[in-house]
Amino acid sequence: MTRKQRRLILIGSSVGVLAIAAALVLGALRDSIVFFNSPTDIVEKQTAPGTRMRIGGLVKAGSVERGENLRVSFAVTDGNHDIPVRYVGIVPDLFREGQGVVAEGKLEAGGTFVADMVLAKHDENYMPREVVDALKKSGRWQEGEAGNVAK
Amino acid sequence: MIPELGHFALVLALALGLVQAIGPLAGAHYRDAALMRMADSTALMQFVFVALSFAALTVCYVTSDFSVANVYENSHSTMPLIYKYTSVWGNHEGSMLLWVLILALFGAAVAAFGGNLPATLKANVLAVQSWIACAFYVFILLTSNPFLRIAEAPLEGRDLNPILQDIGLAIHPPLLYLGYVGFSISFSFAVAALIEGRIDAAWARWVRPWTLAAWMFLTVGISMGSYWAYYELGWGGFWFWDPVENSSLMPWLAGTALLHSAVVMEKRNALKIWTVLLAILAFSLSLLGTFLVRSGVLTSVHTFATDPSRGVFILAILVFFIGGALALFAWRAPLLKQGGLFAPVSREGALVFNNLFLTTACLTVFVGTLYPLALESVTGEKISVGPPFFNLTFAPLFIPLLFAMPFGPLLAWKRGDVLGVAERLMAAFAVGIVAIAVTFVIKGGQSVLAPFGIGLGVYVIGGALIDLVERTGLFRLPLATVRSRAAGLPRSVWGTAVAHIGIAMSLIGIVAQVWADERIVSLKPQETVSIAGYTLSFDRLTQRTGSNFREQVAKFTVRNSGGTVVGTMDPSKRTFPARATTTTEASLLTRGTSQLYLSLGDANDDGSIAVRLYHKPLVLLIWLGSVVMMLGGGLSLSDRRLRVGAPKPAKKAATKPALQPAE
Amino acid sequence: MTLWFVFALMTAAAMFAVLWPLSRRGPDDGGSDVAVYRDQLDEIGRDRAAGLIGVAEAEAAYVEVSRRLIAAADAAETAMAGRIEPPVWRRRAAVVVAFLLLPAGATALYLTIGSPQLPGERLASRERVAQNSSIANLVTQAEAHLERNPGDARGYEVLAPIYLRMGRFADAANARRRILAISGETAERQTDLGEALTAANNGIVTDEAKAAFERALVLDAEDVRARFFTGIAAEQDGQRDRAAAIWRGMLEKAPPGAPWIQTIQQSMARIGVTPPVAATPPVAAAPGPSADDVKASAEMSEADRDQMIRGMVARLADRLKENSDDIEGWQRLLRAYMVMGERDKATAAAADARRAFASDPDKLRRIDGAIKSMGIDG
Repeated sequence: MTRKQRRLILIGSSVGVLAIAAALVLGALRDSIVFFNSPTDIVEKQTAPGTRMRIGGLVKAGSVERGENLRVSFAVTDGNHDIPVRYVGIVPDLFREGQGVVAEGKLEAGGTFVADMVLAKHDENYMPREVVDALKKSGRWQEGEAGNVAK
Repeated sequence: MIPELGHFALVLALALGLVQAIGPLAGAHYRDAALMRMADSTALMQFVFVALSFAALTVCYVTSDFSVANVYENSHSTMPLIYKYTSVWGNHEGSMLLWVLILALFGAAVAAFGGNLPATLKANVLAVQSWIACAFYVFILLTSNPFLRIAEAPLEGRDLNPILQDIGLAIHPPLLYLGYVGFSISFSFAVAALIEGRIDAAWARWVRPWTLAAWMFLTVGISMGSYWAYYELGWGGFWFWDPVENSSLMPWLAGTALLHSAVVMEKRNALKIWTVLLAILAFSLSLLGTFLVRSGVLTSVHTFATDPSRGVFILAILVFFIGGALALFAWRAPLLKQGGLFAPVSREGALVFNNLFLTTACLTVFVGTLYPLALESVTGEKISVGPPFFNLTFAPLFIPLLFAMPFGPLLAWKRGDVLGVAERLMAAFAVGIVAIAVTFVIKGGQSVLAPFGIGLGVYVIGGALIDLVERTGLFRLPLATVRSRAAGLPRSVWGTAVAHIGIAMSLIGIVAQVWADERIVSLKPQETVSIAGYTLSFDRLTQRTGSNFREQVAKFTVRNSGGTVVGTMDPSKRTFPARATTTTEASLLTRGTSQLYLSLGDANDDGSIAVRLYHKPLVLLIWLGSVVMMLGGGLSLSDRRLRVGAPKPAKKAATKPALQPAE
Repeated sequence: MTLWFVFALMTAAAMFAVLWPLSRRGPDDGGSDVAVYRDQLDEIGRDRAAGLIGVAEAEAAYVEVSRRLIAAADAAETAMAGRIEPPVWRRRAAVVVAFLLLPAGATALYLTIGSPQLPGERLASRERVAQNSSIANLVTQAEAHLERNPGDARGYEVLAPIYLRMGRFADAANARRRILAISGETAERQTDLGEALTAANNGIVTDEAKAAFERALVLDAEDVRARFFTGIAAEQDGQRDRAAAIWRGMLEKAPPGAPWIQTIQQSMARIGVTPPVAATPPVAAAPGPSADDVKASAEMSEADRDQMIRGMVARLADRLKENSDDIEGWQRLLRAYMVMGERDKATAAAADARRAFASDPDKLRRIDGAIKSMGIDG
């Protein structure tokens, strides 16, 4: 084999592997990414039920109800709209009324969001970035609180 | 006085760094021995000053000197002493100081132990290293200065964040940094080689120990971070594919590829350009990781917006070094001489295969990490790319890589014989298939792919052992010969086998999590819950008061299927009243390499408490595997050949009879 | 002085690191690639002897490495031959850098960013002078005490109003919660909590605050502050009639000369209801002693509250003077003035805000909308 042929084999196989990788990446991006929405987005976009997504906002004060067998329901609000959420399991330590929360799951036909994952603040200074953005959009975010998030 | 000493030491380090960045570079260009020698003494002295600076900040933390703004903001006089030490780097400014400390440490190490390097290469390497260091000194002094003072010292510090008071969280960043920043030396070697316009097989041998050392630290750092997340975050996950984790994984993948391609370069003088590019990329990805984590782009766009100077500064450093190195690469690489020839089927071919898959895997992680950021900045749409994406892209790329792994060390250089190697690997195939069958029998068909994963791991371990058996002649030759051959075998051969066994162990541990069991139940005292043959009875809930927290401790007794008590578990929930913060402390019970994992949820009004219970089969293998990988790296690092090149020992070696094994 | 002496020593050490290598003569004494290739040749020999590679392979590898060795040796020789004694001026330049630029540059940079005049203050050396410390330090001491004795309700009771005055509203609310948890609930404690929560939310009565006020009214239907704030809550919920009804009820039962009557009248005026002329209600309507109590507590915390809100608003106004680009800030300021009944200030602030956004039509439109919706422009 000449140097040229060897190089062709090398380049050919590299391109092959890259093509496979690109196919995998594109396929995975189509199937497995999750869009983030604020309650307002969901109401305004008329999101189709059944789509997997994340919603973020504040846990509406007074909305948390705990039921049998670790059932939890609460509402996520961005000040303009509320979305009711159902979840079965243990909520994080810092899950509290009036605090930021991100839930991942699906929207049911009735407009209830069924979450299979609930994330709250990581520590007292941190608020999920998506929540900050969602609140800012709805005008509920006050710049004076920036210091709490910056940490 | 102490804080100002630290401050001045850092300024002096910058001044010395500038001298070191220019003097030796000119020296190497004009072949002026005195200017080149300057690199050693300045590199060592620079390290002394940065160490002094770091020590000064540490003293400020330990003595709670709140006249230093950084200490005031991130410490508290009642904090336990150990956390006063660890909070030195538990904040942005301090962690950047640790960053430059390690940068200077590696520079000093090259100055002290790089006696085997040609003078010009060493001078250039240290000059480039100093360029990087200077950029970060300026960054620290101007935008993230830990030595800024408060005229009226407050009486008490502000932070006592309970989440940060954890030893696992405190220890893994320095290890990660040793790895991250360690790749700066590989980068400096690459840029130095490009500046000299000369690169050959010897270069690969010189750069190898530094890359290896960085790789070892990074391996262990990533794995410790993962273990911390596992026991601290309370739901038993060990890898979340979140951007912070990914930004440490990418340099690891590139660095692993670099270690392998450097072997080809050293032995066959081939893949030179590629190796140089990888050395640049590995550190570029480290810089990218630093940027992503430190600029706040990931955790909050908001941080970046309120204090843009830091993010923009790191971005500028990033662009300057990556862009500069790649431009230099584009300009100089075509001038480098072509390397040796090899057939696609050969040891070289196998290593190219390894590189191809590792870099492609790295690329998918890169896309998965940055795509959401890119999409958001372009369309404003927010998405999250989670584990499913990486499972679909990363895993398929790693399977062929792992399958081909045992072939590599068995293939001959230049021209190999795949069928011959496959034949020699028969035993490994056989144990792999037996492992698949056994797994199927034990676990049933609840997951079809997982038994194959276990089989793959067993086969890789088998392949590594076969390599050792063949080289030492075990089972073939008399024991005495085997012993002398084993002793004469280069340490790097042992290192390869051990590291490959390590990754197979991690693989088995990860795959076994398919069979992890989970129970989330609400329990009242005296009730029991069963999992994987163990029965846990909830004895009682007790209260305990700690130094600055109250704790609800749930006592559990664990019995095996025979009813014998095998241990107790006491997960707890801590409340810090002053901060109105709660943390969950999970409890782990280790049985062999499997673990029971128990964490508490909320207590209900009727006296019951929610618990989360997991049985994690073979889970410890994930981290043990990484420790074994590091041991492999250590064995390889101890290979005497890596130190060859220093004038005196080399002369001795040359006069020795060639057949005598050196160690 | 010691400081500068140590600085001088350090600088000298740095200069030494630059000068020392210049003082030594002689060629570079680094390693070379020749040694690496020699070792590779040795290794091939060893592998061959150990039977790890075949004769032919060893032969080929030997040739390949030998070629590299020869090339490297040639290169080294040319380099040696081409070597000329480097000119002296370069070393002199380096000496000048070490003697002048290094100390001068380092000192100049340090003087601009360092604080040499400040002594280090380790905690131990400062505890003696703690007596004459500021409020902030007293608060920190109290916090440290509470961290050790989390069950001390009195400590929280001292701290809570101070927190409010310092603008640390969330901490105030936490302290109030602790008091409730430790000492049990009373109407007054619930009201205190509600008030702190309201302050923490920029004057908005959140659901949690409202719940606290309602709980307080269950415990004591006559709690003045709780009633007042349920009125505010109703107003904020858009139920002006309900708010008016609550306040009217309060005025009807108000003891003569109660200091909060005026506040309520202002509030009613704000929502556009004419307050009834303070009819003097029969004194008997409120039982003697408790009426005094209510009055006292209402009096005190009313003043606190007023002071607190005014302080808050003044800070906001100051901040907007420095950074006039904060549209949410302006909206909050305007709302605050209207809530406080300071229509003049609101009108002035509206004009300021319009000026601030004169060059930004988008924001100008938004602020205009806000001003109109609050009815400032009449």
